[in-house]
Amino acid sequence: MTIDPILLSVYARTFRSITDEMSISMQQTTRSPILCEAKDYVTGLYDAEGRMLEQTENLPILAFSLAPVCKYIRSYFGDDIHPGDVIFHNDVFSFGNQNNDVAVYRPIFFEDELVAWTAVKGHQADIGGAVAGGYNPNAIEVWQEALRIPPVKIYERGKLRKDVWDLIFANIRFDIVQHDMKAEIGACRVGERRMLSLLQKYGRASFEAHKEALFEATQRMMESEIAAIPDGSYQGEGRVYYDGRHAGSIFTIRVSITVDGKRIKFDYSDTDPQTNGFVNGTFTSSASATILTLLQMVNPDIPHNEGMVAPIEIVIPEGTILNAAYPKATTFGNHLCPPNAEAIQRALAPVMPDRVTAGWNNLLCSLTTGIDPQKQEKYVDIGFMGLKGGSGALRGTDGYDHIGMIDASGGVLDQDYEMFEQQTPHRLIRHEYLTDSAGPGQWRGGLGVETMFEIGSDDTQVVIFGDGDFEPAFGLFGGGNGMLNFIRLTYPDGRVVTPRNKDLLAGVPRGTHYHQQAGGGGGYGDPKLRSRAKLKEEVRDGLISAAAATKLYGA
Amino acid sequence: MGLKIGIDVGGTFTDFIVAGHGLDTPIHKVLSTPHDPSVAVLTGLQEIAQILQPQADFGQFIGAVDTIVHGTTVTTNATLTRTGARSALLTTKGLRDALEMRRGIRERQYDNRYTNVTPLVPRYLRQGIGGRLDRNGAEIEPLDLDDIRAAVALCKEEKVEAVSICFMNAFANPVHERTAAEFVRRELPEAFLTVSTDLLPSIRFYERVSTTALNSYVGPKLNRYLDQLVNRLRAAGFRGVLLIMQSNGGVISPQLAREKAALTLLSGPAGGPAAGLYFARALNTDRCITTDMGGTSFEASVAIGSPVTVNDGEIARHKIALPMLDIHTIGAGGGSLGWLDEGGLLRVGPQSAGADPGPACYGKGGTLPTTTDANLVLGYLDPEYFAGGRMQLNVEAARRAIADHIARPMGLSVEEAAAGMYRIACNNMAQGVREVTIKRGFDPREFVYVAGGGAGPMHSCLICNELEIPLQVVPPSASVLCAFGMLLSELQHDFVRTFVTRLDALDWARLADLLGEMRLEGDRMLEEERVAVVQRRYRVRFDCRYVKQYHEVSFEVPAQAIEARDRQAVASAFHVEHNRLYGYSLEAEGAPIEVINVRLQAIGAIERPTYALERHSGGDARHALKGRRTVYLPESASFQPAAVYDGHRLRCGNRIEGPAVIETVTTAVFVSGSFDCLMDGHRSLTLYRKGREDLVESCLERERVPA
Repeated sequence: MTIDPILLSVYARTFRSITDEMSISMQQTTRSPILCEAKDYVTGLYDAEGRMLEQTENLPILAFSLAPVCKYIRSYFGDDIHPGDVIFHNDVFSFGNQNNDVAVYRPIFFEDELVAWTAVKGHQADIGGAVAGGYNPNAIEVWQEALRIPPVKIYERGKLRKDVWDLIFANIRFDIVQHDMKAEIGACRVGERRMLSLLQKYGRASFEAHKEALFEATQRMMESEIAAIPDGSYQGEGRVYYDGRHAGSIFTIRVSITVDGKRIKFDYSDTDPQTNGFVNGTFTSSASATILTLLQMVNPDIPHNEGMVAPIEIVIPEGTILNAAYPKATTFGNHLCPPNAEAIQRALAPVMPDRVTAGWNNLLCSLTTGIDPQKQEKYVDIGFMGLKGGSGALRGTDGYDHIGMIDASGGVLDQDYEMFEQQTPHRLIRHEYLTDSAGPGQWRGGLGVETMFEIGSDDTQVVIFGDGDFEPAFGLFGGGNGMLNFIRLTYPDGRVVTPRNKDLLAGVPRGTHYHQQAGGGGGYGDPKLRSRAKLKEEVRDGLISAAAATKLYGA
Repeated sequence: MGLKIGIDVGGTFTDFIVAGHGLDTPIHKVLSTPHDPSVAVLTGLQEIAQILQPQADFGQFIGAVDTIVHGTTVTTNATLTRTGARSALLTTKGLRDALEMRRGIRERQYDNRYTNVTPLVPRYLRQGIGGRLDRNGAEIEPLDLDDIRAAVALCKEEKVEAVSICFMNAFANPVHERTAAEFVRRELPEAFLTVSTDLLPSIRFYERVSTTALNSYVGPKLNRYLDQLVNRLRAAGFRGVLLIMQSNGGVISPQLAREKAALTLLSGPAGGPAAGLYFARALNTDRCITTDMGGTSFEASVAIGSPVTVNDGEIARHKIALPMLDIHTIGAGGGSLGWLDEGGLLRVGPQSAGADPGPACYGKGGTLPTTTDANLVLGYLDPEYFAGGRMQLNVEAARRAIADHIARPMGLSVEEAAAGMYRIACNNMAQGVREVTIKRGFDPREFVYVAGGGAGPMHSCLICNELEIPLQVVPPSASVLCAFGMLLSELQHDFVRTFVTRLDALDWARLADLLGEMRLEGDRMLEEERVAVVQRRYRVRFDCRYVKQYHEVSFEVPAQAIEARDRQAVASAFHVEHNRLYGYSLEAEGAPIEVINVRLQAIGAIERPTYALERHSGGDARHALKGRRTVYLPESASFQPAAVYDGHRLRCGNRIEGPAVIETVTTAVFVSGSFDCLMDGHRSLTLYRKGREDLVESCLERERVPA
């Protein structure tokens, strides 16, 4: 079959529009705010063998687990895959990235043959285990965190397996999860419909040939990006503070990156061993972190398919904190992305000074739940607006203010202030850029924010998870560090409580003053070289204090 | 009825269309004058007067014009080019950065060089004001007048032209905003003032503050422009009514547009959807997809009975929460450039060669290949008959540009490369149509495709093939579609009140109060615009969601349901719309519904021009045949000879078999091998899929009536 170079472009554009359409379907039909507001899901299209054709990655940290799981499902069921099957999966010990990220896979048959898969993976509001919502700082094994779903057929040849459905949802707390899993199935059907009409139009042979050509074209793009990095071996480190169980514990992620012509290898063999807590990564969550960090250093328009990942090799030995061995707890694993990214940035900065950013602000997040006394209704609020700090600066570009953790890179939004006050009993006092929070530099880091609200419910539960309160986002090439994170509660009786970065506070009273600081990103280059015109504006605008302008920027 | 003129000021051309001049509907184009767009408006009017009434003087002509409807890009351009007013924002203390933060979004996640938008108001002019209302509008903390005094002093010192006021929870109680506004009006009488609850009293702080700041940003500039325009028109002798096109597809008096300048942010393309609907109705349908392909962009929108609107629009990454037509724009036009990406894949757009140097074939120094160059190579354009022969196209320059930049690097012939550019441009546009159809829950196959814009009808067959749309219409005024739509637009004013309540606990008396309040405001405006009471209509919409959902669905509530206080009827209207949009409803589960906003639209009917239908003169089109030339046929990916017709000589009822090219002065229509074509009584070219005569039965009907 000869390749029609024009049709190739049409295929590439159409694959993208299919996964985008699946994504819109998810946003509009899901009900849990972490899905429809924060868009914590990925939609994807894979070939018969499970190779990535295209993905819409709203939250990149989930993204690079879908293809490995697809390949696993393919081999797990072997010949026993039929039209109308729908398969669920979340198991972190068979390439899942996080227990709460539950995926749906749907095989696509054309002329009686398996030709492709659509898949959707989203963060579900609950997945069983000891603690609602899944973040259980006391977990040491997977069973305390979640219900494991190694691949299971929930539909077989188009027929719902009601008994299996009921078994799964008998182990999950909230009904909303059933709705949201139906939404995932629906989005897979949306993708399947489009894929079938594409196949009808051009035929199987054309699809197969052009798909391979697309992989090759994309691989060439990625290879030329890698070839531009000087050959050699580069090392970097990032640290994780506190595993939720052992006070003062610190873990180091160590990466050795080898660039050899058109290939790049990330070797994490020297990374610290796993912990006996829930602060452990899974292979695919850690690999996703690696890939998304690399993707920010190359042409942002490279299509996301198998060809893009082909030149990348990732080695993470089992038993390290980035790849916990069965049956360790791993719920916090997605949030090891910031220190992992930091290790890579530190390693590559000397050889890619035009592409690598300074450090990004790390995530520190809170989740408040209670009863709204006016409405007598339960509320749950994820503190998106409070957690979003600044990104690291890059040569020629300041960091992005209030963007949030690198795992989402600006894909997760603040609650609207007025909706926040409708949906919780809290009263927002302050949400503004934080003066001097950005790491100084010729190009400064992105600004962090300060958030204050008054808690409006009695007996409130505040769950805290994250990091960034010990070590700030690092500066590069003479740029300074960003500010640290913190969360601090002042109770009505005047008592001040500073929770640990993985913590659960129960019985927080109404009238408590919640105060959070999300730090800025690291700066790049000598602050004394910063544009004086910009600096003047920033001092005028109160983003940089006059004192800092004099002391750090030499104004 | 005297003359009525629609004027659409675009980036390159200012389009005119005249109604009321006998049977004919003259169209005219002049080059735009961006420094003062009213210059081109006057020039065009003078030229039209010359053409239509060469004997009369201009004063006489313009004195006989009843109505001018005007679409303007003044506010759009001020926003896109960042040349709006120096303005200040008075907002709730502690929350002054919401405008700049935009809820913390970065639209391109992997692109670390993608920077945030420069805010419409710099931070030092965003002043925090003490005073606080709770979520129900009750005062927690009184308004701090000292803070307002200080802010006003700063405004004076900094010589701001415009001031915005937007306070937290003001949607529930505007009292603090009103007090602050009084103070500002007294102290800064010259400043343009926008109060958030006057413009948009609905919940969602970021959307409201952004819309308010946009209004202040563009207000002074629109006011100056309207002054110039009104003065020029008056000086020329115009005594009729001037109406301004709004983003919602309705028109508004200049007096009201002055205060609510943000209503005109997408005024330019807003005439298109109504025009598309007009021509679609000739085919007995009120469902159409209207497209408009110009020099740099392609716009697509949907109408079902009336054009579809959204309440969450955006301009240059700033939110506008005022209702506006759902028009999706992509960078695909005649000037879009073809290029190869790093992986060697062919792409077309969004970059454009613009008007200068323009496509290579214009011979104005352009060397990069554009869609127009490809169309020329493919035979859709006649180098001798571009713009009716007013401009000679250079085929060699087009071929060279395509050879150098596409064909040679890809190892293709020039023809293959041009065909590739054409197919990719069409694919991009088809994806653009998906944005307003499939992604909004509509099946494009159930719609008539209206191909507007000078370049549109050369691409519509392939787009319709891609989307499996069987029926297209190319209106006679395709090249000035928006201006035509302006002639049809009615006066239209939108109001909103946030009213958060469970539907099952809805307080009907309170609802009646809110609707009454909005209706009163609407009547006041229509009164000012001198619309008689019998000419007024009102439409009510609710924004609702299932309890615990985050996104509302906006839907029309029938008047009877409100009169009869029929909760069930409201609920079922919501379920139906939710099901249409998202493919499911929770009616069976009995999920509780929550109301967030109620909306009222006050409409003032205006007299629409009437057009006589041309009489049927038989199927034979041979009298219009100009000749044959070789064109590219996408269905067989080959070059074949095709008939070329003179569109001006075609008559109602004439039928043409595809493949064919139909040329007029302002556009060329390519009828591909999958379609046949029939001219209807409006002189629209109706393209229907081969074998589907049933789709144009309404036109064929007349065929049987003896002439």
